[in-house]
Amino acid sequence: METKVLCEARGVSHDFARPNDKVLSVLDDINIAVRPREVIALLGPSGCGKSTILRILAGLIKPTAGEVFYREQPLKGLNHGVSIVFQSFALYPWMTVEGNINAVLRARGISPEESAKQVEEALKMVGLLGFGRAYPRELSGGMKQRVGIARAIAVNPDILFMDEPFSQVDALTAESLRAEVLDIWAMSDRNPSSILMVSGSIQEVVYMADRIVVLSPNPGRVRTIVENPLPRPRDYRSPGFSRLVDHLHDVITGHEMPDIAVAMPAAPSAIEPLPDATASEVIGLMEYLDARGGRAEVFQMAADTHREFGEIIKIVKAAEMLDLVDTPKRQVVFETVGARFVKAGPEERKAIWREQTLKLAIFQKIVELIEKQESGELDREIAMEIIIFSMPFEDFEKTFDNIVRWGRYGNLFAYDEASEKLSLVKPSADT
Amino acid sequence: MDGVFRGIWGGTRHFWEQWRIIRLPDVLAIAFLAGVIYGITSMAQEWTGAPRPAVEIDLSPWALPKYTFYSLSRGIMAYILSLAFTLVYGYWAAKSRVAERLLIPMLDILQSIPVLGFMPGLIIALAAIFPHSNIGVELAAVVMIFTGQAWNMTYSFYYSVKSIPRELAEAATVYRFDWRERLVWVELPSATMGLVWNSMMSMAGGWFFLMICESFVLGDKDYRLPGLGSYMSVAVAKGDTGAMLWAIAAMVAMIVVLDQLFWRPVVVWAQKFRVEEGGAKEEVSSWFLDLLNKSRAIALLDRLLRVMVFERPKHQHRPEKTPGPFSKILRTIPFIAFIVLSLTLVAGALKLIGTVSVLPIEDWVSIISAALLTLGRVMTAVALGTLWTLPVGIAIGVSPRLSRALQPVVQIAASFPAPMLFPAMVALMIFLNIPLGWGSIVLMVFGTHWYILFNIIAGAMAIPADMHEAARSYRLRGWQRFRQLYVPAVLPYLATGWVAAAGGAWNASIVAEYVTHDNQTLTAFGLGSQISMAAERADFPHLAAAVFVMASVVVLLNRTLWQRVYLIAEQRFSINR
Repeated sequence: METKVLCEARGVSHDFARPNDKVLSVLDDINIAVRPREVIALLGPSGCGKSTILRILAGLIKPTAGEVFYREQPLKGLNHGVSIVFQSFALYPWMTVEGNINAVLRARGISPEESAKQVEEALKMVGLLGFGRAYPRELSGGMKQRVGIARAIAVNPDILFMDEPFSQVDALTAESLRAEVLDIWAMSDRNPSSILMVSGSIQEVVYMADRIVVLSPNPGRVRTIVENPLPRPRDYRSPGFSRLVDHLHDVITGHEMPDIAVAMPAAPSAIEPLPDATASEVIGLMEYLDARGGRAEVFQMAADTHREFGEIIKIVKAAEMLDLVDTPKRQVVFETVGARFVKAGPEERKAIWREQTLKLAIFQKIVELIEKQESGELDREIAMEIIIFSMPFEDFEKTFDNIVRWGRYGNLFAYDEASEKLSLVKPSADT
Repeated sequence: MDGVFRGIWGGTRHFWEQWRIIRLPDVLAIAFLAGVIYGITSMAQEWTGAPRPAVEIDLSPWALPKYTFYSLSRGIMAYILSLAFTLVYGYWAAKSRVAERLLIPMLDILQSIPVLGFMPGLIIALAAIFPHSNIGVELAAVVMIFTGQAWNMTYSFYYSVKSIPRELAEAATVYRFDWRERLVWVELPSATMGLVWNSMMSMAGGWFFLMICESFVLGDKDYRLPGLGSYMSVAVAKGDTGAMLWAIAAMVAMIVVLDQLFWRPVVVWAQKFRVEEGGAKEEVSSWFLDLLNKSRAIALLDRLLRVMVFERPKHQHRPEKTPGPFSKILRTIPFIAFIVLSLTLVAGALKLIGTVSVLPIEDWVSIISAALLTLGRVMTAVALGTLWTLPVGIAIGVSPRLSRALQPVVQIAASFPAPMLFPAMVALMIFLNIPLGWGSIVLMVFGTHWYILFNIIAGAMAIPADMHEAARSYRLRGWQRFRQLYVPAVLPYLATGWVAAAGGAWNASIVAEYVTHDNQTLTAFGLGSQISMAAERADFPHLAAAVFVMASVVVLLNRTLWQRVYLIAEQRFSINR
C-alpha cells in the first residue's frame, strides 16, 4: 500500500550550544512532509538552517525537540531510506570512482560480483562509464558531482537528499546536471521515489521542485510552502516560470525587507541585530545604485554580482539601517542621506557614516561605555556582554567584528587587536 | 570436457609464465627477507646473552655492519611499538569523548616533558628486573626510543581522525559503514599523510635517544649496548680517529639508505591519500618504489593483503544492530581500560607524593636552583642556535638554488643524532680546558639547532613570490629586507622551531651536564646532572623529585612562555591569514 507521506518532520526545533552556555536557536517548529514521487525544495538565505533540516531528516543530527518520521515510524538513529548528495561532493580522494561507489555497496553487504555490476549500472546512469578507474582529483567539479549522484542512487534510496548539490559546479554543467537528475527521478520503475533538495537559488527550485518550502532565518522557520504546478520539462522563458519566480521574490522580500518601515530613531530602546555586511560592501551597493539612477531591484543585483540573494539582502538591510536606502517592495532606492553620501568625498562620507551609525542604539551604548571607562578603553569582553545582552539570538562574535568594522570606517573608534581594547577616536578639527 | 581442460591448462600456463622470468627486484626482495630472518636470530642471541660488565666493541670497520644493524633494529622495533601505540591510543582518544578528556591532556604532557629524565631510572630498574640477560637494558633502549617517537605520531593520528572533513564523515554514516570500514576506508587513509611525515620526524628523533642509550655509563656501571653509539664512545675513549670517522659514515649511510629504501617510497605512496585537492604540488618520486612496482613478489603480497582486508566475505543484508554477548563484552573493554588507567594515574601520583615527601628541604633548594641554572642554559642554547641558523636558514630558504642543493644535506644532518658526537666533543673540551658548565651549553646547541634551522628554511621557502617582488620593487635592501620581510615572515616557523629546540635542550641536559670520559665523571651543577647523579647513587626520592621538577618546569614553560610566543607569531606574523 502506498503511504501518503514518506518522511516527515513534526514540530522540529534545534539549538546549538554556544561556548558560554548560551544556546543559539537554529530551527523553530519546523513541519515538513516529503510525499511519494515529488521533488521538494528547501529555499532560503544562508543561515536559515536548511542544511540542518536535511541532516535532521536524514538522522545525522538529533533535533532538540520534535520528531522525525520515516514511513510513519518514528525515526531512531539513521534514516535508512535516504542517500545524500553533498555540497562538497564528499568523495574519498584515495578511492577511484569505482572504489567510491563500490564502498557504499559493500557496506550494505552486497557481494563483490553483484557490486561490480551495480557500480557499472550507476556509472552508466550518470554518463560516466569508462571513468571508473579515475581518481576524484582528476575530475572536474561537475564530474565529481556525477559520481556523488551515482553513489547516492547506487544504494537504491527511497528519497534522494541533495544539499546545495550544484553550488560548487560551474553554471553550465549545473544546468545539464539538473535535467539529468530529473530524468533519473522520472524513471518510474526505480528509486528514488522523491527528491528533497536544499537550495539558495530561486531559478533552480522553480525549475526542479513540485513544492518549494520558503524558510526565513534567525531562527529558521517555515515561512510558507509554494506549490509549483508548472508542467515538465520546464522552460525558463515561459510566462508561468517567470510568474512563479516573481512570486517567490515577493514572498522573500515581503518577509526579509518589510515595507512597514520600523522607524529606527523612534524606538531607540529596541536594538536591531546588525546585518553581517562590511562598510565596503555597503559603499559598493551605493555606487551600484548611483550608476543605475539611484534605483535597482534586489534579485537583479544578485544576478549582476553573482552572489546569493541572501547576501545582497544583508547588505541592503545594512544600508537601510543606516538610513541610506529605502526598500519599497523589491526595489532599493536612495534616501536623501544616501544620495548625499554617494556624492560626497571620502572624508565627508566617513562623517555621514559616523553620524548614521551613532543613531543606532548598539553604537550609542558602546560609545557611552567607552566614555565611562577611566582609561578610555573598553575591553572586548565587556562589549561582548552588552551584545549578548542586547541581541541574544545573534552570533555575538560576528556582531562584535561588524561593530568594530563599521566603527573603524566611520572613524568612531579604534580597536587594538593585541590588547583587545576599544577606544574612541577624537574627531579631528576639520570635521 | 575439452573446454575445461583447456581452461586449466591455460591457467597453469599463465601461472608459470608469470614466474618464468625471475627479475632482479624479486631476487632483492627474497634476499631482503633472508637478511631479516638472519638479523632477527642474531638480535635474539644478543638480547638473551649474559650481561657484560663492560661493553665489548670490536673497533674494526668490518664489525660496523653488525653494529649498524643492531642500532637499526632497535630503532625499528621502537617504531613498530610506537605505531601500535599510536593506532590504539589515538583511535581511542578520537572515538571516546570521556577517554579523550583524560588521554589528550596526558598526551600533551607526555609530548612536552623531557623523557630522558626518566632514562637513568628506567635503565637501572629494567636491568635489575632481568639480571641474567641483556633483555633489561635492551628493553630500556627500545622504550626510550619509543618515548622519543610515539607522542607526535599519536597526536597527528588523533588530530587527523578528529578533523576529517564533516561531509566525508557524514557520507560514511549515511552509507552505513561499520567501524572497520570506517577505519580502513576513511580514518586510516585520511591520517596517512600526517602519520608518514610524523613517522619520519620520529625516526630521526629516535636516533637521538638511541645514541644516548647505547653509550650510557652511570658512574662505574657500564650500560652500553653494542651498536653505533657505543662503537663511537669506545673509539673516542681509545682515541681512534679512524674508527670515529667510520662510525659517523655508518650512521650517515644508515640514514641515507633508510630514507631512500623506506621513507621515500612510503612518501610517494602516501601521496594518494592527500585530502586537499587541486594544484599538482611538487612531484615526489622514488626510484626504489618504481623498482618495487616491477617486482612480482611484491605484487603478489599486495594482492594477498587486499583480498584479506577488503574482499573478505560479508553477510548479505547485515542485520541492524546485534548486540550479542560477545560484542557487549568488547564494548566494555575501553571502559574498563579507562578505569584502570585513571586508577593507575591516581596511584602513581600518590606514590610519587609519598616518595618525595621524605626529601629534606635542602634537597629541594638544590633541585630548584639547579632547575633555574639549567633553564638559563637551555635558553642560552636556544638563543645561540637561533643566532647562526637565522641568517643561514633564510639564505638557504630564499634561494631556490641553494635550497635545492642543500636541502638533502640539511635533512641528513638533522636526522644525524648529535649525541653520537658528544663523546668526541667532551674529549675536545677536556683537552681545551673548557669547564662543563659552559661546555654543556655547546652540547645542547648541537642537540637542538637543527630543529630551528629546519623550520627557518621551511618558513623562508614559504614566503610568497609577490612579497619578494614587492621587496625588490620598493628597494628594500640588506638589513632592512632582513628585518622587515624575512624575520617577520619566518617567525611563526621559528616559534615552532624554538619549542622543539627547547624541549630537545632539556633532554640533552641529562647527558650534557653529566659526562663520563676515560673512566672519570665530569659534572656541571644543574637539573640534568642532579637526575643522573641521583640515579647513580640510587637516591630515588631525589631522582623522583628532580624528574618531577624538570617535567613541571617544561610543561609550565610550554603553557606560558612558548604558547604565548607561538600565538603572537601565528596571529601577527602569519602570512596566510
